[in-house]
Amino acid sequence: MSLSPHAVEEIKELPTRFPAQSRSAVMPALDIAQEELGYLTPELIKEVAGLLDLDSGYVEGVATFYSLFHHKPVGKHRFYMCTNLSCSLRGAEDLVKHALDQVDVSTTDEVSPDGLFSVEEVECLGACEFAPMMRLDHKFEYDLTTEKLDALIAARRDSQPKKKKASHG
Amino acid sequence: MAELRGDFGPGPDRVLTEHFGKDGLDTLAGYQKVGGYEGWKKALTTMTPSEVIDEVRTSGLRGRGGAGFPTATKWSFIPKEPGTKYIVCNADESEPGTSKDRYLLENSPHALVEGIAIACYAIGAHQGWIYIRGEYDLQYQMLQRAIDEARKAKLIGPSPFGSKYAVDIQLYRGHGAYICGEETALLESLEGKRAQPRSRPPFPAIKGAWGRPTALNNVETLITVSWILAHGGAAYAKFGTEKSKGTRLFSVSGNVQRPGVYEMEFGRPFRELIEGKAGGALPGRKLKAFWPGGSSAPVLPADMLDTPTDLESLAAAGSMGGSGGVIVMDDSHCMVKAAARLLQFYAHESCGKCTPCRVGGNWAVRTYARILSGQGSDVDLGLLDRVQAGLQGGRCLCGLGDAAGWVIESSMNRFRQEYEEHALHNNCSVEQGALAHA
Ligand SMILES: Cc1cc2nc3c(=O)[nH]c(=O)nc-3n(C[C@H](O)[C@H](O)[C@H](O)COP(=O)(O)O)c2cc1C
Ligand code: SF4
Ligand code: FES
Repeated sequence: MSLSPHAVEEIKELPTRFPAQSRSAVMPALDIAQEELGYLTPELIKEVAGLLDLDSGYVEGVATFYSLFHHKPVGKHRFYMCTNLSCSLRGAEDLVKHALDQVDVSTTDEVSPDGLFSVEEVECLGACEFAPMMRLDHKFEYDLTTEKLDALIAARRDSQPKKKKASHG
Repeated sequence: MAELRGDFGPGPDRVLTEHFGKDGLDTLAGYQKVGGYEGWKKALTTMTPSEVIDEVRTSGLRGRGGAGFPTATKWSFIPKEPGTKYIVCNADESEPGTSKDRYLLENSPHALVEGIAIACYAIGAHQGWIYIRGEYDLQYQMLQRAIDEARKAKLIGPSPFGSKYAVDIQLYRGHGAYICGEETALLESLEGKRAQPRSRPPFPAIKGAWGRPTALNNVETLITVSWILAHGGAAYAKFGTEKSKGTRLFSVSGNVQRPGVYEMEFGRPFRELIEGKAGGALPGRKLKAFWPGGSSAPVLPADMLDTPTDLESLAAAGSMGGSGGVIVMDDSHCMVKAAARLLQFYAHESCGKCTPCRVGGNWAVRTYARILSGQGSDVDLGLLDRVQAGLQGGRCLCGLGDAAGWVIESSMNRFRQEYEEHALHNNCSVEQGALAHA
């Protein structure tokens, strides 16, 4: 898997936005690269390094420091479930277990058999007054309950295009 | 539209939240309808930069990011010589229990754009950066739209209000690392590096972003600056105590009836916030403890609810004002478990640069695991004590290490009995009580 021509163009434009040019462009560039597969491979990291004219060891060092960069396959819909204190005080741990169960994985390292879901426990997401909460598909979901989790999962299963039918987006 | 859970609308000490809840406040038109950008206009067209700093000095404003440093003093450290300088807004908000910057951004993104413009003018910068945590997707979009609107209306850009003072603002996303909230780690991250704090000196005021003089300020601090320039420093200083002026936003979470982000004048007691605004304990429960300023502020027992909220009273009580994140725990929860969860956080988020933090955090996590699984002993209690002492007192490069130490120390000092039950008798009276209750 390598970067799409569109991604390459976007990455090449990035350095002009920053005073120090290519170094500051590393993370936005890795964002673009991560869009391709949902996670970063050594090849993608090397390609980003090449485009920004940086050492690939350096880029890898950055990519492994930050938790929003993934290095293993993730589900199409990833549950970033907060289990820090305010959410734990309101039942977050049981909800993580429930989510794992419902998407049919046994740990936070796995992707569901249908490829649709994975679950990650994350630190405080800054929405503690809505605890327990999580981030899903770039959106915060508040006041989680098992029923709410079930509904979010079901909605995503239902919106899956049936095999062989063409789909957009 | 943002989902509001907290204070909004007029009230006796509603400064920042007075107009929250009004339709369209997040748009330029809505913000201008309530006097938005008047402070920036006044600063730019009628005041010198040092008069702006003086106005902020009169207000007594101290930073809301955690350290409570006087904002005007911070700005006055920036060298006066011409040359590239930066304002960097810290919108990384990741301190457990803290959500007030998110609340502000969702309600009034233009207030931050305005505050950054004013701060840039005050220190002689022409470029502001907002470092926003990567998980704030909606808030990023709202800010980007506000910046675009302000540029289009020529409130920022090459010639705001027809002046010759160019100011622009750019957003930069974080990627999930608590340490990026620490100001020098944030600068490393902004420069595209692993976020490991820098040793100081040089301080960011001399050598900050990309080696240039930089003032870093929290979201709430800069939004308060907008209010101060519009209404005057003296009007702001009427609120609060002698040393902690004004109001602050407290995000109250955990075991209360009405979690939310509440604005309150400094100096009133936590009881008013937690039992009044947030509704106190859930039916049948009793409050047990609260972290008054994010998880890094030493925990206090519920019998100290009458402690006033100003920074001096909190320091005297053995804690700190920190980020204004108030985490409340009731009697159905175990303090050892809570502390263990927080240590897991600090160990996970340690950048690994200093030995006590890198090694001590993981030791603490393993020790807590032993204690909670019933394998503990008094040796483990002694070990936790040594680890917390090692984390504190300037042995670490940044505040993360101290904070981890404070969690252990304060929870052990205040709730020693729970630690002994677990470590010495493999017993948790709290959870047994909770079970009996259920
Ligand atoms: C580990 C650590 C995490 C921090 N996280 C934040 C944060 O998320 N947001 C913030 O504004 N300040 C945070 N701070 C404080 C900043 O270093 C800095 O003091 C602050 O942004 C300065 O702004 P102010 O003067 O307006 O408060 C953190 C400090 C430490 C040591
Ligand atoms: S105290 Fe911890 S987080 Fe801070 S610089 Fe040292 S190792 Fe990094
Ligand atoms: S603790 Fe879960 S959002 Fe803050």
